[in-house]
Amino acid sequence: MNELVRKLIDRLPLEFRVLYRQFLLRVIDLEALSIEANVPGFLGQFAGVLIMLSLVHSTVAYIGYVYIPMLERMAFLFHMQHYLIATTMLVVGLATVISWDSTFPDRRDVMVLSPLPLTPRLILTAKITASCAVLGLAILTLNVASGVMLPLILGAQSGPALGAFQTLPAWWFTIVAASAFLYGSVLTVQGLTALVLPRRIFLRLSAFLQLAAFGLFLGVYFVQPSITTPAAWDRPQSQWILASSPSYWFWAMFNQMNGTLPAELSWVAQRAWIGLGFAVSGAGLSLLLCYLRTMKKTVEEPDLVPGAGGLHWMPRLGGSLQDATAQFSIRCLTRSRQHRVAFAFYLAFVFGLAFSVVRGEMAAPGPIPISLDFMLPTFLMMFFAVVGLRNVFSLPISLTANWVLRTTQIRPPEKYVAATRGTLILFAVAPVWLLTACLSLRLRPVVEVANHLAVLALVGCIVAETCLIGFYKVPFTCSYLPGKANVQLFFWGSAIVLVALVIPCVEFEQRALRDANKFGFMVCILVGCALALHAYNDHRGKSAVIHFEEIPDEVITTLKLSG
Amino acid sequence: MLELRNVSKRFSGIPAVDDVSFTARASEVTGYLGPNGSGKSTTMKMITGLIERSEGHILFQGKPIEDDLIAYKRRMGYVPEEPYLYTHLSGAEYLTMVAQLRDLPARQASVRIDGMLRLFSLHDDRHASISGYSKGMRQKVLLIAALMHNPQLILLDEPFSGLDVASSLVLRSLIQELAARGKVVLFSSHELDTVERICSRVVILHHGKLVADDSIERLRTLMELPTLEKIFSQLAVEQDTDRMARQLADLIYE
Repeated sequence: MNELVRKLIDRLPLEFRVLYRQFLLRVIDLEALSIEANVPGFLGQFAGVLIMLSLVHSTVAYIGYVYIPMLERMAFLFHMQHYLIATTMLVVGLATVISWDSTFPDRRDVMVLSPLPLTPRLILTAKITASCAVLGLAILTLNVASGVMLPLILGAQSGPALGAFQTLPAWWFTIVAASAFLYGSVLTVQGLTALVLPRRIFLRLSAFLQLAAFGLFLGVYFVQPSITTPAAWDRPQSQWILASSPSYWFWAMFNQMNGTLPAELSWVAQRAWIGLGFAVSGAGLSLLLCYLRTMKKTVEEPDLVPGAGGLHWMPRLGGSLQDATAQFSIRCLTRSRQHRVAFAFYLAFVFGLAFSVVRGEMAAPGPIPISLDFMLPTFLMMFFAVVGLRNVFSLPISLTANWVLRTTQIRPPEKYVAATRGTLILFAVAPVWLLTACLSLRLRPVVEVANHLAVLALVGCIVAETCLIGFYKVPFTCSYLPGKANVQLFFWGSAIVLVALVIPCVEFEQRALRDANKFGFMVCILVGCALALHAYNDHRGKSAVIHFEEIPDEVITTLKLSG
Repeated sequence: MLELRNVSKRFSGIPAVDDVSFTARASEVTGYLGPNGSGKSTTMKMITGLIERSEGHILFQGKPIEDDLIAYKRRMGYVPEEPYLYTHLSGAEYLTMVAQLRDLPARQASVRIDGMLRLFSLHDDRHASISGYSKGMRQKVLLIAALMHNPQLILLDEPFSGLDVASSLVLRSLIQELAARGKVVLFSSHELDTVERICSRVVILHHGKLVADDSIERLRTLMELPTLEKIFSQLAVEQDTDRMARQLADLIYE
């Protein structure tokens, strides 16, 4: 089999294979990685998370099918179908956002590839193939188990074994079509803006579009209600959701192909077909025009773009090193696509949770009592913001430029740790705290809300201090060694800790908010933890060395030569 | 005074700099010469503390630099060989960051940065992203960053790279002026004409080893050669350059 694939690949033109490999590797910024980085292992960890999710989905589907009573089973299966389609669209959407602009020729491509005897068509084909390979891998890993289990269940539900032969292709066609729709829509929007706007304005707008797409995909995923029962889709207020939500369009498309779509929803399926047609043709046309027109525009673009003449003021934050670190960090986050997207991934969880709180509050007519439904999301928001920012700090912006930090290192290492702490608090703890304060305006009683905000601030400081343990780096400067964080372990470890530790703790806090003694005790413990971690980081920082290259821990290999 | 005593650097056992000793004195410009790969930039990086030496000692004002590395870094200004900068920042932002890292008072830093940007004709483009700067503009940013804190020791690795004629002339005079005001200037370059004009003494490196360390005048007399170019060719250039050019042309036509 491998031999056959290799022979097929060898038949492709050499130029195409070289370009394809280069563009595929662009998904990750290789210049940011440590020289010791194991890239396949790193990608494998992400694939592992998706495969694990797929296994969880298929287990839930099977358990639901076996244990849910017959009358409610169809509603459950409808819900499961929509959930899996929406999740696939979310993953494809996130992958599209992460590889934003990668399908279009950038200045580097134009300057390097234009003088070579290569046609724009070849470059375009290689770019699309590389993007599709990444998306295809994401789709495949996310549906590897659930994409078989759910169609089999649906096939069995609808009758004889023949059912699965109809359901399985229908399911996979729907998944691919939904992904193609999303990818095509993004390309169409990008292509049209690139064609219509002057290139300089397009580049600026593109950054905002990227974040807007990110927020849109996550916002829709978290906020849109489930309307997969006859009673729900008959409601007048559900009609606009069915009409405007692509995940419901493709859910209807699948059921249409499977023969299980209620007749009154055939218009929803029709939207999927029309949307798919528009997205694919729009993407094809805009890409073609872009490659014919934009490459020329890119060459003509002046090298030196005048800076904005307006405001260049930055706040003073206490100490020149703190100022330098915070200002450098915010500029990296706002100006580097890679860093912006990586942080947006975590912010997506924060805003998703915030949206869920807002949705709950909007449903209530008057003042709302403070409850677990509010407290738990706020702690999670704090966790994702601080951990996310700390993780993004690990991605360097330009390793070759780090010499300036090394030759100007005129302060002891603990000052750098303090500057990083200040930056974490400023850009993660403080914004989440303020957001929570805004979200809690309708909550009562006010004293309990204020107490919760105090607890949240302390928890934020503790998470920030925990993130700083062993982090003896200037943010955005140390080379990245993938795999050290162990994504699988972190992901599932966090999930287990959440269930086992956070929920009981939040329940305890809820009781403590109504009991002054318990609350005092809890605050003392939290302040003690925060101070102890602060002192520990300061102490360790004094003897630390600020490093700029991540090197794996040395491993002693035993040769087992004796006995 | 900057003093190197028997300094060596080996990469995986292969010597890049081998037992080099010389002294760069205050109030004079010391030229540091050598062909590509001779170990000039490696020496410069060891002097800045960017890489550790395998052997030997580096002393500044009579004290080993590692005795108080922080105090040493405060008094050192460095222009690297390649203009590597954080290109997502503007020129003004980059220089402000360097001033903050060097703990310069904000007002003083602002006045110096503004003045130097004007003198180097960069003021109009100070808010543009460095990613759009030409090589010469980047070089000017590096020079300002290296000089704005009034360092006692100035290390210049190919400082003329990419500069236009006017800027080169300004820099040439600036280096002499700074030396005249008592700075220690170690200056590495391939432009032998410039070196001959501004350096009082030269150190020549070949295959990581020191092959000359003297005043240009004395080298001329000792070697009975009229120019620094001839001295350099005799000490550090092994190939017959005309023959090599012919071989390259033959290869292209093959």
